[in-house]
Amino acid sequence: MARIQLNNIQKRWGSVYGVRDVNIDIADEEFLVLLGPSGCGKTTTMRMIAGLEEPTEGDVIMDGEIMNDVDARDRDVAMVFQGYALYPNMSIYENIRFPLRMRDVPKAEQDARIRKAADMVEMGPYLDRKPGALSGGQRQRAALARAVVRSPQVFLMDEPLSNLDAKLRQAMRIQIKQLQRQLKITSVYVTHDQIEAMTLADRIVVMDQGSIQQIGTPDEIYSDPANTFVAGFIGAPPMNIVDGEIKAGVFTAPGLKVANVKIDHEGPAKLGIRPEDCIVSPPKSPIHLEGEVYGVEPTGDMTYLSLKVGGLDFEVKADRSYRAELGSSANVGFDLEHLYFFKADSGDRLR
Amino acid sequence: MASVRRSKGESHLIRYLILGSWALFCLMPVLWFLTIGLRPRVEIITPTPIYWPTFSLEAWNMIWRDWPMAKYLMNSVAAIFGSVVIDLVLAIPAAYSLARYEYRGRDDIGFYILSTRMMAPAIVAIPIFFLFRNMGLLDSVWALMLIYAAINLSIVTWIIRSYMIDIPKELEDAARTDGASDLRILWEIIVPAILPGIITAAVIAMIFAINEFLFTLLIASTPNAYTMSVALANFTGGSDGVIYNAIALVSFLAFLPVFIVVLLIQNHLSRGLTMGAVKG
Repeated sequence: MARIQLNNIQKRWGSVYGVRDVNIDIADEEFLVLLGPSGCGKTTTMRMIAGLEEPTEGDVIMDGEIMNDVDARDRDVAMVFQGYALYPNMSIYENIRFPLRMRDVPKAEQDARIRKAADMVEMGPYLDRKPGALSGGQRQRAALARAVVRSPQVFLMDEPLSNLDAKLRQAMRIQIKQLQRQLKITSVYVTHDQIEAMTLADRIVVMDQGSIQQIGTPDEIYSDPANTFVAGFIGAPPMNIVDGEIKAGVFTAPGLKVANVKIDHEGPAKLGIRPEDCIVSPPKSPIHLEGEVYGVEPTGDMTYLSLKVGGLDFEVKADRSYRAELGSSANVGFDLEHLYFFKADSGDRLR
Repeated sequence: MASVRRSKGESHLIRYLILGSWALFCLMPVLWFLTIGLRPRVEIITPTPIYWPTFSLEAWNMIWRDWPMAKYLMNSVAAIFGSVVIDLVLAIPAAYSLARYEYRGRDDIGFYILSTRMMAPAIVAIPIFFLFRNMGLLDSVWALMLIYAAINLSIVTWIIRSYMIDIPKELEDAARTDGASDLRILWEIIVPAILPGIITAAVIAMIFAINEFLFTLLIASTPNAYTMSVALANFTGGSDGVIYNAIALVSFLAFLPVFIVVLLIQNHLSRGLTMGAVKG
């Protein structure tokens, strides 16, 4: 098994930065998720771990060994791709056998390993099929089997679930997590889906525009975001960000006043409030705002409430029984503990 | 409901009528050739039109009896088949390089390869003649093989390249992380995946090779290396004058195999001729 270190990794194409100053230390057997919007450099980072892309600067180190000049085929890294990348002319059996054949695994061993890998993802009955005759979920399971069959040091997954429908995605998520726990393989998983990141990861790396925004456990990323980007990217609906000003421990914004702010900062600032930290029509709350009801969306398990506060949209997660007339006014309260303050210019967290 | 169905039937009928007449129009020269080839020679050279031709195997018997037609046929087959094999062996790696590797001047090299096809063949005819003479390759099927391969290499390369570009790159990345070398990726992943494209390119090369005349005439100076296309020229000279029905029949025989192959792969063929411009 393997520990992976990325030291000051840069990837440039001409003057365009794909990835800049990436430092990650991935522990042995860890499940690390690279999370970010498309174009943030997460896939490029993963491809550099795989050896499919060479870093312009910096080192990729596996178990203390610098791997920069080692080709993908010699890295003992298995990868699962978004488009499954099964070889269309081969049966599933041949697909799973391919990496064993390429690595000269003795013939006598191959069959048992192929069947074991296929059974692990419940693909045993489909070994004779061609990829074209399988559903999306089955194809992705076959791709997983092909990746685990040779017990690689590192397991890389590039948005493996994004071509599947929501229900299947959840089932596969659980299966992938199980597989990783069973096999104890260091895994890196790329996704733009925060739910996948939160549920799968031991640690999440949030990336934007080629740079790391924050590294932390899912809990840390959610409850202790490093800046407005992370705060806005995690959580659905995203955190409300209100522009205002802090003066002598009091944050003021149109329609909102927060006293007793224990932050050493004077001047313009942003306040972040998660929709789920809001309490609608609180009996008595020291901090609250009043807005006009703009939308009420009951989803069954909860009600999404959209408010207009000043010129600002404000999202609130209300109780599932909550109903209000459009255009009426609503009162929302917060807990001082669950408020986040950020610098107005950089968006960095004020602590 | 009934009237809807009838009008649909009518529109089908009209469609078939139009397409049928168009097909007949296009096939007219071929059919005309066939009837000429199967008529007695006297009937062909009469100035008065004959509407109901007499069926005759005169030309058929003659071409097999008086000429080594089997030899010409074998020469054609050998030269064409050999040239296609040479083309594929050279074009598949070349196309892969043009489609996938990144290096300076790649696109220029690709265009240079294609541009060899744009040149009028007559320009290089004389130099090639001397070249082949000095190499002692005149009047041999091997020489024809090389010439045909050279003529078609550019187009075969470009057709195969266009198919390779459409293969998802993920597939190669997967094979690479699975431990495959470049050669194995090409051979075990790419080639099977673009087999239709390779067949298309081979058939197009075959058609061009069958029709090749200039270089064949130049290099094949005796019946030893004559192919079907040059053999046709045999029937125009000599004491017998122009033997039209034999020419027509031999032309038809040269046309037939291509026709059958094209029928079999016509779907792929149109895709190959657009050379990747249209994703299919």
